[in-house]
Amino acid sequence: MITNPIGVLALSKREILRFLSVASQTIFPPLMASILFMYIFGVAIAGRIDMSATGLSYIKFLVPGLMTMHLIASAYENTTSSLFIGRWHNHIQEVLLSPLSYLEMVLGLLVGGVARAVIVCMGVYAVGLLFAPLTIQHPFILFYFILTISIIFSCAGMMGALWAEDFGMLSLWNIYIIMPLVLLGGVFHPLTMLPEAIQHWSHLNPMFYLVNGMRYSITGVSDANVLICAITSLILAVVLFLATVYLFGIGYKLRT
Amino acid sequence: MRDSERAISIQNLTKYYGKLRALNDISFEVKRGDFFAFLGPNGAGKTTTINVVTGLSNFQHGQVRAFGYSTTTEYTRTRRLIGLCAQEFNFDPFLTIHQLLVYQAGYFGVLPQEAAHRADELLKRFQLIERRNVKHRALSSGMKKRLLLCRALIHDPEILILDEPTAGCDLELKFLIWDYLTQLNNEGKTIFLTTHYMEEAERLCKTIGIINHGRIVRIGNKQEILQDKSLEAVFLEVTGLE
Repeated sequence: MITNPIGVLALSKREILRFLSVASQTIFPPLMASILFMYIFGVAIAGRIDMSATGLSYIKFLVPGLMTMHLIASAYENTTSSLFIGRWHNHIQEVLLSPLSYLEMVLGLLVGGVARAVIVCMGVYAVGLLFAPLTIQHPFILFYFILTISIIFSCAGMMGALWAEDFGMLSLWNIYIIMPLVLLGGVFHPLTMLPEAIQHWSHLNPMFYLVNGMRYSITGVSDANVLICAITSLILAVVLFLATVYLFGIGYKLRT
Repeated sequence: MRDSERAISIQNLTKYYGKLRALNDISFEVKRGDFFAFLGPNGAGKTTTINVVTGLSNFQHGQVRAFGYSTTTEYTRTRRLIGLCAQEFNFDPFLTIHQLLVYQAGYFGVLPQEAAHRADELLKRFQLIERRNVKHRALSSGMKKRLLLCRALIHDPEILILDEPTAGCDLELKFLIWDYLTQLNNEGKTIFLTTHYMEEAERLCKTIGIINHGRIVRIGNKQEILQDKSLEAVFLEVTGLE
């Protein structure tokens, strides 16, 4: 329950101000990368890719994948860097000494991650419009997936920031676990392009459902049942949120 | 339930860092409106006690209360009552010093307009108003000390905890801080001070507690503790540093 809404709002505002004040590092790089991906894969190479099984042009297939990839990366990076820098400089004490409950602390930090992820995700969509007309087929479902996915990875970012002991450890989860799973989850390729044996393994990858949930929202096409995608993202969001609040509650690497 | 007489109440507090027992079954109280000096050699347990009271450290045994509220189960209430002026300069590097105070007040539920007003008042009081739009890195260490005090006071706490507030300050700043702390105490704020300067404790405080190796070795009002001795002599005697 929220008993200190002004406090949550203040923390949320500080988080948003933090990433906006360094927009050249937080907002524009993923947009730049997206332009390059869309140009190289969507324009230069797309003609050689057989997309007949999906009924979409490659660029229309690619844009939702890139939106998901940058949604995940931005949410994760925002909370990771904010919380870890707070621990590193010890100014996290400003928050820990306040009367915010642990749930409110997590919410305040979460808002920053979600806000940055949404801005970047919609920026990638806007960039996509430069390459292909792309009407959002299911806006409410898109809103649902953007929200749940950004919550999942904002919480994962906070957990990563609590776990990390130095800047080197900070990006390990992202490099070795999250991004490989996201890329294998179908950002750049439909499931049918993979050998049949590997297609089965893809169903064990939770990112596969997140990428396909987003793709369904925008194009109406998905390699997975959208209900399973929605349930997967909801369960992950709830579990990771509760786990993060629990870690704040016990003071994991926050209190001595 | 609120206990309006006892600002801080610590009962049988034990705190371990791994196998090291940093606080060993300590109990004491700080009355409302008191100016309490908490003294001890380096590593005696002063900062650990402060961290436990403010909620920055967990502990294994005992009870810690602020105005009757438990600092563990009712932490959202106790943290409103306490302002901490820590030893280290741990400021958010992304914010100007004015923003820093406004956001800090916000975490305590103070509305932005009121927070901005309080920030200006405190920055004026501590002669930092002309630097309000710079980040803390642009301040001298004396200015940062003053900023720590501003931050501790921004939500108008009933208990002010100061962890060596004048360490490294020049005489002028020391007197400025002493005057202000005396004024705050006269206005009714409870002040809990740790310091290595015996003169400071002797001059400002009404009650003195001395901790050594995680145990309280002497506690009482200043007259009882001192009798005809200097505080330095008492300190050396009870801590065995003579």
